[in-house]
Amino acid sequence: METGKPARSRDTLDRRHEGIESKVEGFNDRARRALEDEFLHESVARFTKKSVASRQAALERLPEAPELRETAYRIKQETMANLDRYLEQLAGAVEERGGKVFFASDGEEVVNYVGELARRRGSKVVTKSKSMATEEIELNRRLEESYGELGLEIIETDLGEWIAQLAGDHPSHIVAPIVHMNRHQIADVLSGVAGEALPPNVEDLLQFARKRLREKFLAADIGITGVNFGVAETGTICTVTNEGNGRLVSSVPPVHVAVMGIEKVIPKLEDLSVFTRILGRSSTGQDLSVYTNLVTGPRQEGELDGPEEFHLILMDNGRSDLLGTEFEEALYCIRCGACLNVCPVYRQTGGHAYGSTYSGPIGAVITPLLKGNEEAKDLPHASSLCGACTEACPVGIPLHELLLKLRNRQVDEGLAGKGQSVAFKGFENTMKSPALYKISGKVGRMAQKPLVKDGKIGRKLPGPLAGWTGTRDLPALAKKPFRELWREGI
Amino acid sequence: MADRAEFIKDIRSRLQNHRSRGEYRPTHAPDVPWTPSAERRRESPVSGDLPARFLGELEALGGHGRRVASIEEARDYVLSLARERGAELLVRWDEEELEELGVDAPVREAGTEVSVWRDLPDFREVAGSAEIGLTTADWAVAETGSLVVTSGPGHGRSVTLLPPTHVAVVRVEKMLPTVAEAIALYAKNGGLPANVCFHTGPSRSGDIEQALAIGVHGPGDVHVVLVG
Ligand code: SF4
Repeated sequence: METGKPARSRDTLDRRHEGIESKVEGFNDRARRALEDEFLHESVARFTKKSVASRQAALERLPEAPELRETAYRIKQETMANLDRYLEQLAGAVEERGGKVFFASDGEEVVNYVGELARRRGSKVVTKSKSMATEEIELNRRLEESYGELGLEIIETDLGEWIAQLAGDHPSHIVAPIVHMNRHQIADVLSGVAGEALPPNVEDLLQFARKRLREKFLAADIGITGVNFGVAETGTICTVTNEGNGRLVSSVPPVHVAVMGIEKVIPKLEDLSVFTRILGRSSTGQDLSVYTNLVTGPRQEGELDGPEEFHLILMDNGRSDLLGTEFEEALYCIRCGACLNVCPVYRQTGGHAYGSTYSGPIGAVITPLLKGNEEAKDLPHASSLCGACTEACPVGIPLHELLLKLRNRQVDEGLAGKGQSVAFKGFENTMKSPALYKISGKVGRMAQKPLVKDGKIGRKLPGPLAGWTGTRDLPALAKKPFRELWREGI
Repeated sequence: MADRAEFIKDIRSRLQNHRSRGEYRPTHAPDVPWTPSAERRRESPVSGDLPARFLGELEALGGHGRRVASIEEARDYVLSLARERGAELLVRWDEEELEELGVDAPVREAGTEVSVWRDLPDFREVAGSAEIGLTTADWAVAETGSLVVTSGPGHGRSVTLLPPTHVAVVRVEKMLPTVAEAIALYAKNGGLPANVCFHTGPSRSGDIEQALAIGVHGPGDVHVVLVG
């Protein structure tokens, strides 16, 4: 019974002002352009292939991988079922250790919290380590716009993110943000910062970047990180990086702000060992990322470094809409990038074609859910429903089934005609373009067998899918039991 | 600003409303206990010669490891490292084990200044200009070649992070088979230090055309001396 004004009228808000400014619609045009970019193709293909192979090798060294995946799924399921309780527990534990906790309903509230914090501290330099949550809400741009009078200098410190930031570009892969850029483009971008022409060789570019960013690490007044896992039991946040920028950003500046999507909470410290064992392996094939950093509150008595102030921002931004629904599993994502790497569509188009913060299969699922089905209506069709993503996901998210559910919902909402979605037709044409033919090269080699095991769902496949399945270049799926596939790390 | 109680209440009611409308249809049936309980956990069998496994993993990651029999040998290792790197400044944790190591005097004699992590007027200045950071570690993990470094008085995080060379002297009793066991120990003892970090090899990046770059932000030159 609704008596007063609801605490948050988010459901009625136009969410289009949230998140990245580029329109999510128009996948087809962007995909077509991407298909014409040879470097992008070659680079994305090389990266994804290498990642898939490393992942496979890493999982072979982990005989208990199937059990770990099962366990990870259960932990997430249990967490979501009691999310209110775990969030309260997490907040309490952080406060007990002297940290501050802020609950943010949307991006606007995050921007304002950080802006006011910077104002109070008189901060000028803000360093950031890669965080998809802050990308999602475009924290940098909005801080600069809404708090322009503070003259903040906000610097991404992940090498790829920094270069993307300087280029005015968006990351195109969760793990490899500038996989779409070549060294000449990178040299151009960095030369602009250097004020002199830098030679387009990797070593020189790295040296320049390292030196420049180091100055920023040391000068920073505030460090902002994302959070991979937030442990309710201990109030610990875990952030992993390979470059060490996450650890630097949370150790050197006097203030550390961690921005965390509410779905990143896990109940116990020991649960962390489940997730750290699958994250690095699924992502880059590393047994453990180089820096797996656990922060529990601000620096303690007697410490010389580490932040004096620690702030944890727990951000909803549309996530709670999915709780307890048929799409809840989309919240289990640990952002490893494995589903992108195995996806035939991602491999052809790269991440920018999706036009959203999150690309690949998880992006195609989560973008319409967080931003509204109408705006992102192309994305659930940016998939061949081959199921490779589902098989690859280390937490067992049924990605292709969720995509199918989303398509069905579009039909229900009248966004697409039954079985002949206009958006999908366009996409199908794109994928049939000569460029794609040239690249995928193995037309029709695939078995046409539908991969959705459930016959009912199979019958719901929209008509044009048949045409597209003919062109996909993917290992056959579902011929083997799930566990075996997982072990093989397809 | 979102009110916390409202925020939590809102989440609770969303959960309950959606569920009561029968919208929740998970893909998997819950047939396995969700929490990794003790009897269920099946670690990768990491056994046998833990130090050898550790050193092998570390080398594979591009780090350097050596097992030495005595504290004198460990001291020599650090000393020759300072010489080889032509270091002007070494910064080290303020820690009893490192006092016992007794590197300060010989390293200074060799022409490298030594700063100890206590009462520093500007820690950024010191850690940011030192070529070598010397620390111990809570644990060394055989499975992954990881060092577990923790914060505390005398234990600067920056020492493990800002100098391009990081060397850790670790007693061999500090070996653990797996990451999970290290985490379990912190869980059991309750109360983590403000910072615990697993360092697994040198800092790396593949962001520029996927070329492997070592030492982009964190140390690229990582040494672990196992004593005993
Ligand atoms: S959906 Fe699964 S595979 Fe994809 S990024 Fe998230 S956790 Fe990784």
